[in-house]
Amino acid sequence: MNFTPKSTAAHSGARQTLKHILLVMKLTTFLLIIALVQASAKGYSQITLHEKNAPLEKVFKEIKQQSGYAFIYENSAIDQTKISLDVNNASLESTLKVCFANLPLTYKIVDKAVVIQQKETSFIDKVKEAAKAVFTNIDVTGRVLDEQGLPIPSATVTVKGTSNATITDAKGYFVLKGVDDKSIILISVIGYEKREISAKNNIGDIKLVVATTKLDEVHIIPYGQTTQRLTVGNIGSVSAKVISEQPIQNPLLALEGRIPGLFITQASGINGGGVNVRIQGQNSIAKGSDPLFIVDGVPYQSQMLKTTMIGSDLLGGLGGPGQSPLNFINPGDIQSIEVLKDADATAIYGSRGANGVILITTKTGSVGEQRIDVNIQQGVQFTPRITEMSTSQYLAMRREAFRNDGLIPSSNPSASGTSVYAPDLMFWDTTRYTNWQKELLKSALYTNVNASISGGTVNNQYLIGGSYNNQGAGFPGDYNDQKGTLHFNLTTTSANKKFKIQLGGTYLVDDNRLPSTDLTNTALTLPPDAPVLYNTDGTLNWQLNSTGNSTWTNPLNFLYQKYSNKTSNLIGNLLTSYELMPGLQIASTFGYNKLGTDELKYRTLESVPPASRGTAGILSANFANNTVDTWSIEPQVSYKTKIGKGFLNLLIGSTFQEIKSNGLNYTGSGYSTIATIEDIKSAATVTINSSLASVYKYNALFSRLGYTWDDKYIIDLTARRDGSSRFGENNLFHNFWSVGGAWIFSEEKLIKDNFSFLSYGKFRASYGTTGNDQIGDYQYLSVYNSLNNGINYQGSTSLTVNATTGLSNPNFQWEETRKMQFGIDFGFVKDRLLLNATYSRNRSSNELLNYQLPSITGFSSIIQNFPATIQNTSWEFSLNSINSSNANFSWSTSLNLTIPRNELVDFPNLASSTYSGTVIIGQPLGVIKAPHFLGVDPATGLYQFADRFGNPTASPSALDANNYYTTLPTLYGGFQNSLRYKSIQVDLFFQFVKQKGTFAGQFGSSPGTANNGPESFANLSHWQQPGDITSIQRYSTNNSNVSLAQARASSSDAAIVDASYIRLKNVSVSYALPQTALHIFHIKTAKIYLQAQNLMTITSYPGSDPENQSSIVLPPKKTLVFGMQAGF
Amino acid sequence: MKLFKYYPIKRDISIDMRKLFYTIRNLAVLITLCVALPLSGCKKYVLVSPSTTTVLGTAVYASDATAIAVLNGLYSQMIRLGPSNEGSICSLSFFTELSGDEFTLLNTVTNSTQLAYYQNNLGVNGTGAFWANFYNYIYTCNAAIEGLNAATGLTPAVQQQLLGEAKFLRAFYYFYLVNLYGDVPLALTSDYTKNVVLARTPKDQVYQQIVSDLTDAEGLLYDGYLQANLILPYTATTAERVRPNKYAAAALLARVYLYTNKYAEAITQASIVINNSTYYALTPLNNVYLKNSKEAIWQLQPINAGVNTPDAQFFIYPTTAGPTTSNPVFLSNALLGAFEPGDQRKINGNWVNSVTIGTTTYTYPFKYKIYLNNTSVTTASALTEYEMVLRLGEQYLIRSEAETQQNQLTQAIADLNAIRSRAGLIGTTATTQQQLLAAILHERQVELFSESGHRWFDLKRTGNVNAVMGSGGATALKGGSWTPTQALYPIQDILRDPQLTQNPGY
Repeated sequence: MNFTPKSTAAHSGARQTLKHILLVMKLTTFLLIIALVQASAKGYSQITLHEKNAPLEKVFKEIKQQSGYAFIYENSAIDQTKISLDVNNASLESTLKVCFANLPLTYKIVDKAVVIQQKETSFIDKVKEAAKAVFTNIDVTGRVLDEQGLPIPSATVTVKGTSNATITDAKGYFVLKGVDDKSIILISVIGYEKREISAKNNIGDIKLVVATTKLDEVHIIPYGQTTQRLTVGNIGSVSAKVISEQPIQNPLLALEGRIPGLFITQASGINGGGVNVRIQGQNSIAKGSDPLFIVDGVPYQSQMLKTTMIGSDLLGGLGGPGQSPLNFINPGDIQSIEVLKDADATAIYGSRGANGVILITTKTGSVGEQRIDVNIQQGVQFTPRITEMSTSQYLAMRREAFRNDGLIPSSNPSASGTSVYAPDLMFWDTTRYTNWQKELLKSALYTNVNASISGGTVNNQYLIGGSYNNQGAGFPGDYNDQKGTLHFNLTTTSANKKFKIQLGGTYLVDDNRLPSTDLTNTALTLPPDAPVLYNTDGTLNWQLNSTGNSTWTNPLNFLYQKYSNKTSNLIGNLLTSYELMPGLQIASTFGYNKLGTDELKYRTLESVPPASRGTAGILSANFANNTVDTWSIEPQVSYKTKIGKGFLNLLIGSTFQEIKSNGLNYTGSGYSTIATIEDIKSAATVTINSSLASVYKYNALFSRLGYTWDDKYIIDLTARRDGSSRFGENNLFHNFWSVGGAWIFSEEKLIKDNFSFLSYGKFRASYGTTGNDQIGDYQYLSVYNSLNNGINYQGSTSLTVNATTGLSNPNFQWEETRKMQFGIDFGFVKDRLLLNATYSRNRSSNELLNYQLPSITGFSSIIQNFPATIQNTSWEFSLNSINSSNANFSWSTSLNLTIPRNELVDFPNLASSTYSGTVIIGQPLGVIKAPHFLGVDPATGLYQFADRFGNPTASPSALDANNYYTTLPTLYGGFQNSLRYKSIQVDLFFQFVKQKGTFAGQFGSSPGTANNGPESFANLSHWQQPGDITSIQRYSTNNSNVSLAQARASSSDAAIVDASYIRLKNVSVSYALPQTALHIFHIKTAKIYLQAQNLMTITSYPGSDPENQSSIVLPPKKTLVFGMQAGF
Repeated sequence: MKLFKYYPIKRDISIDMRKLFYTIRNLAVLITLCVALPLSGCKKYVLVSPSTTTVLGTAVYASDATAIAVLNGLYSQMIRLGPSNEGSICSLSFFTELSGDEFTLLNTVTNSTQLAYYQNNLGVNGTGAFWANFYNYIYTCNAAIEGLNAATGLTPAVQQQLLGEAKFLRAFYYFYLVNLYGDVPLALTSDYTKNVVLARTPKDQVYQQIVSDLTDAEGLLYDGYLQANLILPYTATTAERVRPNKYAAAALLARVYLYTNKYAEAITQASIVINNSTYYALTPLNNVYLKNSKEAIWQLQPINAGVNTPDAQFFIYPTTAGPTTSNPVFLSNALLGAFEPGDQRKINGNWVNSVTIGTTTYTYPFKYKIYLNNTSVTTASALTEYEMVLRLGEQYLIRSEAETQQNQLTQAIADLNAIRSRAGLIGTTATTQQQLLAAILHERQVELFSESGHRWFDLKRTGNVNAVMGSGGATALKGGSWTPTQALYPIQDILRDPQLTQNPGY
């Protein structure tokens, strides 16, 4: 290939384009001015004219006087033209009709003006013609419409095989000049199937059909739309249909296993619990790896305010990601979710896109008569359980533990010396057996109702929707999570289609009531002979002993420690756009989000044993109020034009964003009665536990330039300059960029001619940089906080150095992730079989580390940039196949697969750094270094381990922990089958993950203590006397050597198990009721369905659930629902 | 321009071409502005003021009030958490004594940290909370010393007092660090880049620094007790003894000299305190721990509303049910057996109290007596007891021991008997130097029990630790087995600072 002539051509082309732009801008402004000037002219009036052979100019003057309409024309066009006219009380329209009936002129009413042109060309085209200075002989005109007859603006209209092309205007009109009348006109636009039509003078209306192949489905991208066919970026998408098939309340859960490169784990099955989201792996050693969430163009929180919230342990999964803010977006309102992964797709978000972007677009109204949709679901949720020891197994274990320790169980609560108080053996009814999982982890009801009303005219569309959801907590007692939402979207467009305004809003209120503690751990560890929960009189049974003291902690005391979390979430967005001229648009989005939570946790007298109820201060309540206010404004200018054989898209925009977070956590104590416990005024003492006030500001300028040549070659360039208030004054700003390109090689003649079975083929590549500022606010400042003392020290205030930003580094900078990606797409059999393979390599450098410091510095860490490099590579594959498709039966299959790998590539001077003990070059982040487990030492009955020389040792040191394990997944994906037979539709979705996990169950609580455990405690052989070769060490009640060995075992490789699983994530069976029957009830469509989530899991993981891998946090629930959907 | 085919506008369409061009220009300027605005204005836009909940580190030494508040913050942190929070100042009276022979831990306790201290079985993964907390406090002291030295806007008297307090506290924390861990890194700056690679400094050098800081502090600190503004003094009778003063520095210095065998200096410093009868006198047993008692040299004022001292909350059983996992200790038979017959300190209701359940009697420390929550306690004036840090009784014992070592046996016996007579005991029967040293060690055991780890440190510094803890001794009774290396706690920081070395045995 010789590039020289091409680049010259491009150069001159650019110069011409510039002229073209200037010209068209002037012209547009000109038209605009006319419209404005004339806006004050007279209103509509009737015209009466009696002219004979009068100069046209005079006639125009007359009409203007009577109607107020001005005339715009070219002198030469009407020179010498004289007409005769005779109209009485006619409208302007009919007057003009008569007037121009026999003239070689056409006219057009533009606002308050009549524009006159030579008949063969329009006014505007004349100018364009002038601009192009192209000689024309045949013009092709037409209008492009959608199936509903609405104009499609910005559609590309090309004379096939030439560089002659244009785009349609706001009303869908186009004009192509100089067209050979034997040529073919090609019309293409995103989201519609291409259409080819023979050239002729006036084609008239051309209707396009919405694309049905996966390749041509519309994808939302930042500030625009695209299709898989034309995209350069790596974008995954989940549609409303897929979301609606899943009975879930956090939209993130609908994405699990659906999108290659996206790994989601549900940390907790608690209503509103946490969800971990990683797009193409973890990029940061220490700092946030959360993706950016954008809801209808407005940035949305990825984390709740953990610091001032109460319920984080319950709702996050202890030490987990905290409550997920996405719980407060109704899945039923979502039109689509797009997941942007590579540099091309994410660079436009600059600093915020390093960890990928999740775009959530809510539903809007569509043109058509009013439609009411109602969807009602009712179902039930279950918690998975494991098998535990029976009472006899448990008692045998305990008794043996006492023998081993040389201790005697006693019923005396004050037993000392060798007798040890053991109510589970000596006081409780040892013939009792309770399956505490069954007792404490209950099934829960699930109700979901969504209703919406929508419709619209060509210029105005609306949608108003509401929903109600109620989920039981899955614990005993009257606990549930109720949500209500109101969602609306209004779109209005001016008559000339140039001005568009879209207002959307969602308001969600959530009242989540839960016991104050997750009962999962209690359910798993409570001795099976523990007493009954309730006395016969309905009060809690405390199983009092002879001294009147309780012998156990009744787990249901948590039911008397109430927790409620009331959240309201308001999302509002306004989008305005104005088309200055075909292709040139100015727009701005305005977004606002207010996420507020009010939490309350309190203890009642019933929650403590009777003996303790007299203690002052038992009645106390903990309150937390948090709000996060986010607003953003994004003004943009976009321009689309044709250059040569291709189209240029230019976008320039800016973002202003501000997040204000405020939180307060306080405790009231010393209430005299439970009745007023929710009233802080009634508390004798109020203690402020923590407060938060922070402001985050963000500003950016961005631009994107896309050029598509002949639908074959695509190039995308983005550049962005970002500023974040999270950095010190010297490092506020940083530049990011990306380059992406795609080659649709199937459009090449060579391929078309020789590989006709290949209907589609594309190669794409991108490279670019994105950044990360997820370090929290004000971290560059060294600050002191007020200590909130209940009693001021010496009566005056106290300040304390902030635990995390006491040591501060004013010079840290943006973390940068360089993303590289290659992908290839194939379509076979008319795109019915689509294959896609992508390789991505993301390298994050200049890592912003909470650089671990030795405690001698006074702190455990400081934020600083470190030249460590983390690499995430992934192979992503997907396959979509329409196996069969006809009127009665259709079957489609899709499969996606991701092979990720995370690696610390480089860490200069690691050995001498504070990270030497926690990360290893060449290993993934979060690598677990564990000593090798050697089972039970037959001599001592204690667990033993291999030291670094391979010799057995009872107390391995850090140096012996030299076996490396990672719990990151090594392969994951999903497999979907959709079948339809006549009116019955069946969807099956399997999710699979190959990974190692930790299982604390076996080594969590030491066998022999007063805790129940997995049945394996009893089933596997355990050490009883010297010489025994066993897999479980000696039972013990509380011997420190035994518990130390237990703790060591739980951090050895014995606690690392295979946690791979295949889960039948979703089953949806629906039956569409026959139309004929529905008509009687004025129902347009209706279907009934069954849906199931997490229905079945195949795994060798020994704990409750391989996904959250916890024995203390409720695992993801299994949900079964029956539902009905109807449209009126 | 010639490409633009000119369409003449008739007069009846009132358009001024010049206006048109102005409009075009204005539009262009507008668009340019929209785009350029973020470039020019954004720096100002993204700069935010600090949170309203914080004070900038650079601003705290700009005014008396904030500078005082920083030191108040240290005192608050020291008293904030109770004995069960490993690493707090109050927890010295629990965890270190768990390691020694003073306490018996309830046998149903499964808390692994408590068990590890109790059974002298701290592994390499010992929690290291004392280390981390004390170095965090030391950071604040270092930053304060730097900030106060550089400050220009403070009242000189306030600046001097605060500097003295900061140096005093730095010495105080290092004293505990060397006694818990042996050789420790000596961080004397707030600059983490210097501190991050520190190696352990020999114990002697750390002590030198402690002496130097305390000597400075003694010179800087006020010769009485100051009110909260650090300008006005209290009268001797109303003094809130909640900030270290000159005598606190002398008292700690006396202890440090005793620990480092500089007996003459110890005598001098202890005498400075003992001789100041305006402020200090031995008080009746049950008045010792009252707030601002004449026994007190330095006390910490409790800061949690509704309660008095954290020690009372922890050691005293709130119900008659005896020890629980929240109040899990009682005095060991070894300690109870050590009290001589007639010792008033062992009388229930004085410094001990007990509860009998069935046939077992549990005796617990009762030096602090106010343990019930009282919601009306919201100001210092409503408090009855303050947490004792330095008291006169110890000074008598320090001086007695130092005098014994200097062979001034008569004075030594007099000082020892001052403590004994308050406890209702007759004078000591010890006559030789050896006997007196043993009698003083014994007296310290029964006088200073459940206070700040005195017993554990005494056992170690007098070389008695292996005999007391070792074979057949305290550790075995506690269900563990003694290794002499357990006398020093393990250092966790070695994972983060490669320059550090671990104590032997871990």
